Amino acid sequence: MNLIERVIAISRRRSPWICRLNAGSCNGCDIEITPLLSPRYDAEQLGIELHGTPKHADIVLISGTLTLRSRQAILDIYDQVPNPKAVVALGSCPSSGNVFAGSPLVLSCSLDTVVPVDVWVPGCPPRPQAILDGIARAAKLLEDGATKSQLAKSRLAGSQPESRCGRPS
Amino acid sequence: MAMLKTILGNLLRPSRTRAPADMPVVPPTYRGALTHDAGRCTACGTCAFVCAPKAIHFTQDPGISVSWHFFIGQCSFCGLCEQNCPTRAIHLRADVPGSTNSAGGDGLRLESVIHLQPCTRCGAAHVPLPAATMDALWAAGADEAERGYCPDCRRWAASARLRTAFTPDGAVAEGGRHDR
Ligand code: SF4
Ligand code: SF4
Ligand code: SF4
Repeated sequence: MNLIERVIAISRRRSPWICRLNAGSCNGCDIEITPLLSPRYDAEQLGIELHGTPKHADIVLISGTLTLRSRQAILDIYDQVPNPKAVVALGSCPSSGNVFAGSPLVLSCSLDTVVPVDVWVPGCPPRPQAILDGIARAAKLLEDGATKSQLAKSRLAGSQPESRCGRPS
Repeated sequence: MAMLKTILGNLLRPSRTRAPADMPVVPPTYRGALTHDAGRCTACGTCAFVCAPKAIHFTQDPGISVSWHFFIGQCSFCGLCEQNCPTRAIHLRADVPGSTNSAGGDGLRLESVIHLQPCTRCGAAHVPLPAATMDALWAAGADEAERGYCPDCRRWAASARLRTAFTPDGAVAEGGRHDR
């Protein structure tokens, strides 16, 4: 890694831009992001900035239950995020479906089966400091080139994971 | 004037409001990381029954142990398990569970193993009562030997005590083993 690449990698950690994706959340997790950006938790001290469009983001925060309809939307939006990228899953919903698991339109499976997830933040909803910690971890992974999408790219092992999550039987 | 004071104050303060380590305090009643004490658990299954997202389940190793499993990625932190656990084996601590990099939150699965013990009377493997419950049950000076009994033998012992109360000479025929 030459000097310029090193500087770019460090800047990536020092100023991660995030975008938020509600995959069918009850809004609890999304509401916890708002205080995170406020002076009380002050995410900007870590250089974190919220962007509306995935095309400007480094880190995607995905919250909520995966549904039959949101699955394709997640894939589309994930594709629009420029490389290198990291995914942070917020709360219990993306990892299992939480209380909604088993509902007819809910994919009762982990978000990992749709897009590669780098950091899981537990909670329902997670506290803002837990989300901040999750973003900081994802930013560190981005700097180290250790996010799953970066690793997959360096291995040239197909950028898109094979989606194993279909309609629940 | 008050406004000028605020502006001056804001100018003199550093740009950040909180260092990452200096976060707002977590309220003491916060339901965070869950802990389970195998020594107090009777494997009664109440926690798995009340848990709406089915974050808790049990597996068995017949005759040897019962395992209590918990997956934080499925928990909604409602606290019902803590509220309903009769022996207070579950506690949701007031600290924020940390994030994890592992797939599916696998690093956040808890397993605690409850070892079965043979009954001192009939030898059947059973989940021993927690020490605190035993102390509460046998504080009144009942038969200490009953401490190691399985639930069936405890029932047998209780009914034997009842029968002694009815027989005039206090004698009770040793009923041998109960039906299993
Ligand atoms: S994890 Fe909890 S708060 Fe977050 S979207 Fe799911 S149900 Fe809502
Ligand atoms: S943790 Fe409590 S409620 Fe759950 S099985 Fe054990 S004793 Fe019963
Ligand atoms: S806190 Fe609620 S959701 Fe979590 S394990 Fe206990 S009962 Fe289940």
